[in-house]
Parts: sequence; C-alpha cells; structure tokens
Amino acid sequence: MTTKNDRYVVVHPLDDVFETKVDTEALGPMAMTRSVRFSLLSLRAYLILMVLMVVYHVMMLAR
Amino acid sequence: MKGKEEKAMTNKTLIMPTAVAGAGVETEATPVRGRVVKSKWTRDLLTFLMVFGPGLIVMVADNDAGAVSTYSQAGAQYGTHLLWIVLLLLPVCYFIQEMVVRLGIATGKGHAAMIYQRFGKWWGLFSLVDLQLVNFLTLVTEFAAINLALSKMGVDPRYGVPLAAACLIMLVLTGSYRRWERIVVFLCLLDFAWFWIAFRLGPPIGQIVKHALVPSMPAGGITPDLMFLVIAIVGTTIAPWQLFFQQSCIADKRLRFADLRWARLDTFLGACVTVTAAVCMMIAGAASHAHGFHFTDPAQMAADIGTYAGPAMRDLILLMMINAAVLGTTAISLSSAWAYGEVRGWPHSLQLPWREARGFYALYLLSVAAAAGIVLIPRAPLQLIILGVQVLAGVILPSAIIFLQLLLNDKELLGEYANKPWNNWVNWTIIVVLFILSLILAAQVTAPNLFPST
Repeated sequence: MTTKNDRYVVVHPLDDVFETKVDTEALGPMAMTRSVRFSLLSLRAYLILMVLMVVYHVMMLAR
Repeated sequence: MKGKEEKAMTNKTLIMPTAVAGAGVETEATPVRGRVVKSKWTRDLLTFLMVFGPGLIVMVADNDAGAVSTYSQAGAQYGTHLLWIVLLLLPVCYFIQEMVVRLGIATGKGHAAMIYQRFGKWWGLFSLVDLQLVNFLTLVTEFAAINLALSKMGVDPRYGVPLAAACLIMLVLTGSYRRWERIVVFLCLLDFAWFWIAFRLGPPIGQIVKHALVPSMPAGGITPDLMFLVIAIVGTTIAPWQLFFQQSCIADKRLRFADLRWARLDTFLGACVTVTAAVCMMIAGAASHAHGFHFTDPAQMAADIGTYAGPAMRDLILLMMINAAVLGTTAISLSSAWAYGEVRGWPHSLQLPWREARGFYALYLLSVAAAAGIVLIPRAPLQLIILGVQVLAGVILPSAIIFLQLLLNDKELLGEYANKPWNNWVNWTIIVVLFILSLILAAQVTAPNLFPST
C-alpha cells in the first residue's frame, strides 16, 4: 500500500513484489539447548505411548 | 509510469513496474497491479478483503464431516450441556492459529519446512509422517460422510463419491490460488445455513445462553463416554493439519508483514464462525434427542429430523454435511500436499499450472482418489472411525503445538514477531490442558474403573 496525492494504492499480495523474509536456510538448525532437547525427547516417548493407547482403545470399542 | 498510470488511475486500477531490481527476490519483472482508492476506510476494507481467506477457510474447514458427527453426537447425548466447552475453545483456536499467522508471514514458508529446517530431518520426517497418516485417515472419514449423506439422499454413492472426488481435484487444478480461494470461501459462507437450521430446530434461547455461558455437567456426571467425547470435541476443534494448512496457505498467498493485523482479524472472524456453527450442530443433535431419536450418525440424525421438520430440512442438513466434508477434504489434502512439497523441495503452489508442480498436484490427487476409493470398498463402522480419528488427532495435537511453541520462541527466526511473555502464558496453559485431557484418556484406557460408569 502506498500513498500518492491523498490516494491509496491497495495491492493484492499475489500482485505485489516478493517481500524479503527471514532466510531460514541460512539460520540452520535451532540451538538444541538442554531444555529443548529434553522436551523433544519427552515428546517422542509421550507420542508413542499415546498412539498405542488410542489404537487399543478404539479397537476395544470396535469389539 | 506516466501516461499509462494516469489512464489506469482513472479506471481505479494502477499498473506499475516493480522497483526492487537486484533485491534478490524472485519476481522483479512482475508488474504490480493495484487498486486506487481515496479514503483510508476504503483502503482498509479493500486490504482486508484481499488478505481475507486463509483464516476463514482453515476455521470453517475445521468443521468437517468428523466435526459435524462429533458435535451432533455431543448434542444428541448430552443436549446443550456441553456448549460451554465449545465456546471455551474459541480463544484456544484463535491463539494457536494466530501464532501460525505470525510464523507464516515472517518466514514465507510452511510449517513442515520450518520443523524440517529448525529441528532437523528426524523431527521433520516424524511430523510429516504423523501429519500424512492422520490426514489420510481423516480424508477417509470425509468421504465416508459423503457416502452416508448421498445414500440418505437417494443418490448412489458409487457415482456420487467419485463425482465429488473429481470436483475436488478440478478445484485445485485451475492454476490460480485466487480462483481456488474464491470458490472455497463461497463454500465456507454456505456454513451460515447451520444458523438457520439451529434457529428452526433449537431449544429456547435462554437455555442455549445458560449452557453456553455457565459451565455445567450433564446428569450422570463425569463418565468415560463423556470424557471420550470431550477429548473428541477438543480434537476436532483444534486439529494438527490446521497449523500446517494455514501457514502454507499464507505462504502461497504471499501475505506481507503489513497484512498481519488483517490476517489476525481474518483468523478471529473464522474462529467465531466455526465455533458458532459448532454450537448450531450441537443444537441440531439436541433437537433430535429431544424428539426421542437415538443417535447413530449425522446422516441418520438428518433423516430423523426430517420426519418432523420436513424433507427440505433433512436434505439441507445432508447437504451441509457434504459441504463440510468437501471443505475438510480440500483443506486437509492441500495441507498434506503443501507439507510434502515443502519438505521434498518440490514446486508447491496453487498458482502453478499442473505441468510445473506435478508432484504437488499428484499427491493431492492421490490422497483424494485413494480415500474416495477406500470408502467405496468395504462396510466399515464409520461412526467409530470418525470418532477414533478425532481422538487420534487430539492426542497428536500437543506435539504439533509444542513444535509451534518452540518455533514462536525462536527469536533468531522471528525477531520482533516472536512470542511475548503473555503469549507464552496463554499457550503453555493450552498445552497443559491438552496434555491433561490426553492423560485422562490414557487413564481411562489403562484403568477404566477409575471413572464411575453410566
């Protein structure tokens, strides 16, 4: 959007020029601090356990 | 841009060349085409309308076939007693998706790509496989619902289901994001029919307001069935694919930093529409229960309601069920295709024609065709599959939100768009609640006698 002589130009995002965004590839992986690593490992264990439980539960309901 | 611009401005349209040559971006040669307006109010309205779309679509598509089933079942079993839970999910929906909006606008990339790049290949692949699995199972339930609804309408599903699948494939093959978005927004607006359905069938407004605003438990207290249904409601209202879909959609639409507040408004309005429609679905279920019908599935519920409200009402509910499934299918299939395309580095935009993004479109096509095909083969316990998928999504959701939360606290990635302390308080509260619900489900599975039975 630009202003010109009390007029406003509204541009659809798809018609606008590409905006420069964060260069995520240059950033590389996130720093694995102890807390981040711990939360991800806990998550992995939690997910495996929960998926198994839900599958079991649905199978019991289906019987 | 002299004479040409003057001429264009009188036509309320401005076309000018871009002025960022050498900036290292991809479309320096693309001319900028804008609308000229005179007032700030018109500018804001027009900007909002141009940005509007991803937020509404992700929210309304969330009320997919499984949601229709879960909400109407909740209404049929517990009347309007659980309305307050649905209302409570409005801010939850908004806060989660608002984070996705910030992440999408700041990075211009999808959620799968972000997980892959910031957490490494293992977690990227893990999330992608999770997403593809839940998405595909959910797609089966969408077509199962279309199958059910068509059967109740007297249409042979052997023709109706493939036709629906073909229409869904054609919808994305136009090579235009805008065309896809306009059609889907139109389908989203059809959701307002639920308001009329609830108005026609609904219990007294005082009862609705009371049960929506004052938390109450149905007669019988907390039972395993109630907990299972509550987790299903949470799982259907906040689904993992939503995070992936909206971020990829924002990236495909190329929303800019200046669009952030309008994208937030779009998301908030979408959350209001979807929660209100969910309330209406629950009211429809409650209405069938009030007339003594036993709930088996939403299509049967529509047939039951039709016996006293007329065939037009029955067909309207069935059509809304099909519409919900169609919206869910296009959004979920796209979230799968976008995510896979991002991770594999394939071209993955609705702006691209088929020949330039074959992998992306092929994945969408395969997902839709396979799900439609599976539905036509066996006779499965569809209602159970629908509810089971919603619960599975509800269990996997905490992990998706934790990735989101970690990314939104990544100041190196987001800078000023990273979470503020109050964002973190709200989000960690949501995560804790989701974990508690999942743990209750685990307790229910491992120790079913923990809760008093009905």
